[in-house]
Formats: sequence, structure tokens, C-alpha cells
Amino acid sequence: MSAKRTLNSFRAPDERGAEERAWEVVRAAYRERAPGGRRHAFARRAGVVAASIVAVGVVALSPAGATVGRLVDRALGVQHPAPGLFSLPAPGRILVSGAGGTWIVAANGSARRIGAWRQASWSPHGLYLTVAARDELAAVSTRGVLQWTLIRPDVSDPRWYAPSGYRVAYLSGDELRDVAGDGTGDHLLAAPVEHVAPAWRPGHPYQLAYVTAAGGLVVRDAGTGAKLWSANPGVRVHELAWSADGQRLLALASTAVLLYAGDGRRLSTRPAPAGGSIVGGALSPDGRTLAVVTDGSSSTVTVYSDIARHPVVRRVLAGLELGQVAWSPNGQWVLVSWPAADQWVFVRVAGKPRIAAVSRISQQFSSRLTSARFPALEGWCCNARGAAG
Amino acid sequence: MSLPGDPVPGTAESLAVAGPLPRVRMRRPRSDRSLIAGTLAGAESDLELLFRRHWPRAYRAAFLIVHDHAAAEDIAQEALVAAIRRLDRFDRRRPFGPWLGAIVSNRAIDCVRARSSRRELVEANLEQGSPPSASVGPYSEEVVAALSALSPEQRTVVVMRYVLEYTPGEIARALELPRGTVNSRLRRGLDALESRLREAERQ
Repeated sequence: MSAKRTLNSFRAPDERGAEERAWEVVRAAYRERAPGGRRHAFARRAGVVAASIVAVGVVALSPAGATVGRLVDRALGVQHPAPGLFSLPAPGRILVSGAGGTWIVAANGSARRIGAWRQASWSPHGLYLTVAARDELAAVSTRGVLQWTLIRPDVSDPRWYAPSGYRVAYLSGDELRDVAGDGTGDHLLAAPVEHVAPAWRPGHPYQLAYVTAAGGLVVRDAGTGAKLWSANPGVRVHELAWSADGQRLLALASTAVLLYAGDGRRLSTRPAPAGGSIVGGALSPDGRTLAVVTDGSSSTVTVYSDIARHPVVRRVLAGLELGQVAWSPNGQWVLVSWPAADQWVFVRVAGKPRIAAVSRISQQFSSRLTSARFPALEGWCCNARGAAG
Repeated sequence: MSLPGDPVPGTAESLAVAGPLPRVRMRRPRSDRSLIAGTLAGAESDLELLFRRHWPRAYRAAFLIVHDHAAAEDIAQEALVAAIRRLDRFDRRRPFGPWLGAIVSNRAIDCVRARSSRRELVEANLEQGSPPSASVGPYSEEVVAALSALSPEQRTVVVMRYVLEYTPGEIARALELPRGTVNSRLRRGLDALESRLREAERQ
């Protein structure tokens, strides 16, 4: 018998049993996605916001010129969202990690699953990813091909040095570690540290900012191991980011946004709005504009232009329980995740104001419906100079 | 049991007694497109027909690529769940089978690649004993053994062509490869497979 006919008549082991088991799973998935299931999910999400207003209100913000023009207030999602991620409003690719693993979304909306990783981050030029599973750090190509792996306990928050990509910093339990970009030379940099993603200082090899377990802010030379400076922020910092030129270090705490100079001087402290707390933020690719998500009676996304000098503050989106924010590589859009509404909201913050929303995000990035969870934004890559956004 | 006087099936008499043969209308199987429309409208029976039609090939293809029935079952299952969840975004002018097959193949390739990179870990585990693979029957075992000698890339292309019955163009699109690459992998893979199967037959 020829190979072709042999393959054609091939039967796999236990086909019938496998089919019945699979049918149970597929049927369960279908029943959850059927209209009744969707109503159930909606009711569950509505429960999150209790007695809050579910109807969408679109309100023009004032004063004139202080906003991109529109605010979706007290809402459980933007009205008339696209049912699927058909395309991105700006060039680049979005990296996402969730219950279904890590995915890359291309500008045309197509999504490629990279693997069952828990976290991921872009390399400086978007050619590779560092990815983390529970006890494994790895580098993979954007097609998911493994380049190297490293087994370490409780790995998280890998970050690639820009622009060269020669080093990767990551957390392993309460240790801050450093490994070369080819997976060699892994070593301990500091311990114990707080569970905050470290931040490489762009253009200053190889200066790394991190938060100690005692809450101190430290910048250390990863090449020599020397501590360059440290500061006591006085608040619990949960996110660090350098400006693109490496001259400003931003530290986000739930109660304030702190700005440091490259030499460790504190330049400014901007408290969170009364009754609110800062849940996340991101610097624009040029490092001049900051987008911050604040939670309170309602969540808001606020954009601070010219962060280093005379910030101009604009609220660009408000809703209930907004999540993360990421900048488009061209700096014209911010992407806001909205877990409570199961939406991604794209807000144009440069040029003509515009809002575009996509629904059913958790379903689109899960491997099984039963484990559908809202995925985390890991970055929108890359601008012309290659810095991951 | 036939009773005395009953017409005997197949005889001229029975035909005469029974009159003209009833017209049997052969019902044409419903198209995938129609089943998808029914599924989207909420008909679980249509989903089941669609599932039963496509499951065997999806599972066989995954098995022939990963050579592990448990992993293959997971891959095919997840691919079908993913396909069902994205059904409302599926362009119904396109055939469903190749779309599903592309999901299965890509996931199976990911699985093989991830495994090969973790081979050291897997081998360490194997030394401690691994669960026996379900029997696949003597003939199938020859196929599996012959396929395992191919590279994962060749294996995938061969399986997509001769198990999933894709055209080379469809394979190229699904795997994002140049068509020439698909053709050369197919040719080499098939040659290697033929020679291994011939060897197995001689033994």
C-alpha cells in the first residue's frame, strides 16, 4: 500500500472514546457561548458594579481643549463595540497573556498563540519575546519558536534591556536576577526585592531600577553590581518606568505619581485624586506623556502631557473598573483594558478624538471557555526606533 | 420472520404485489455552511453534526504530528473549542475544514517544538516511567514509526496533505510558508515515508 493510501486509512488510538470526551467539552463550551450563556455572563459582570448605572452615557468633557472630547461615564462598556478584534487602529502588534497563554495580535487583527506562558514582554525591536511560566524563563521568536529556556522558581516580570537586548532582568521569588540575552550567565542581582517589574534605564548600560522588599527605590549597575543611587519614596511603589531618554524615572504608587531625575533627585510628586487610587500607568513611546488609570467611585484614564516640565492634564476615558493602559507605537492611541465590560477600548489622544471598542476579549484569548479570564496587556510594539511600547 | 402469503422480497411476484417501488429520496448531507448557520442560530444538533464530521481528522492529524494520543486529544479538543468560539467571526464563504485544520496543525507544531526544547526534562521524567501509550494497531504503528523519522516540519506538511487533504496552496497559507517550500517538504517527506514503509513491509 502506498504511503498516501496508508495515511488516508490511518486510525488514531481510541478515536471513539476521544470523540465522546471532546464532544462533552465542545458542547459545554457552546452552551456557555450561546445567547443564554452570554446573558448569564453579563449578569455576573453587572453584579460586579452592583447598583451602578448600566446604561452608557457619553458626556463631553470640559473645559474645551482639556480633553480629547469624550468621556464614557458610569458605563459598563462602550456602546456598539466591535464583536471581534478585526484590526488595530494603529500600526504595531499587541502582546497579550491570559488563561489561554500568550498571544500576539497583528495590526490586521489576526492573533497568533505563542504558547502556554503566564507572562511575556517584547524584545527592544519586537523580534523576540521573553516569556515566563511558573518555574521557567524563556526567549521565543514571535512565531513561538524557543530560543533558550532557564529553569528558576517562581519566575515573573522579565524585561529586556533596550536598545541592544543584551540583557534580561527578571524576578524569581524575591530575587532580582539578570541573564544575558542569549540565555547565558544568569546571576543574582539583589534580594529580597518587592514584586515590582524592574526597569532598565534606556541608553545607560546596564542601569536597572527596582524596588527592595523594604520599599526602597534602587538603581543599580547590573554589569558591576554597584548601587548607583537609592531613595525612599515613602509610598508603596507598584510600577516603574523610565522616559525614553533615560533622564526621568517614574514610580507609580496607589496614592501618587513620583518623578525622579536620572541621578535620584525627586522632581515631583503628584497625588492621586481624592478618594481614588492609581492602579496602573504607561509612558508614551517618546517618554513625554504619561497615561494613568485611577480607580475610585469611577475609573478614569488621565493623560499627562509634557510630564517632565509643565504637565497638561486630560481625562480621556472614564468608566467602572478600568484595567491597564498601553500606548500605540506611534503615540497617538492608548489602549485601555476594561475587564468588567470584557472590552478593549482604543482612545485616540492625538489629533481628532476617537473611541473604538472591541468586546468579548476574554473569549478571544482563552484556550478553553471554562477558563476564560480577561487577559493582561503586555505591550504594543514597536516604534520606528524599535522600543517596545 | 415472513408469514405465509407475504410477498418474498426480491422476487417478481413480490414486486407485482407490492406495486411500484417507493421512491427513495437520498438526502444530501448538509453543507458545513448550513451547519454553521444553524449552530450560530442556537441549534446544538447542527453543532454536533459539524463536530462529528470534523473531529476524526482533526484528532488523527494532531496524533500523527505529536505522536501522543493524550496531547493529540487535548490539541484537537482545544482547536474545536477555539473554532466554535470564533464561529461568528468565521467567513462562511471559506471552507470550514481547512480553517479548523490550520488551528489544529499550528497547535500541534507548537506542541512538538515546545517538547523538543524541553527534551532533557521529558527524558528525565521518562526515566521515572511514563504512562503507556494506547495501542494503535499494527498497521498504524508502522505509519507512526515511519512518520516519527521525519522532521516535525515535514511531518506536518505530509499530514496536512494526506490526512487533512489540503491542497499545497492551502497548506502554504495555513502555515505561512512559500508554496515551493511546502512542495519540497511534501516531496521529501513522502519519499522518506514510502521507503520506510517498504522497509517495514519487507520485515
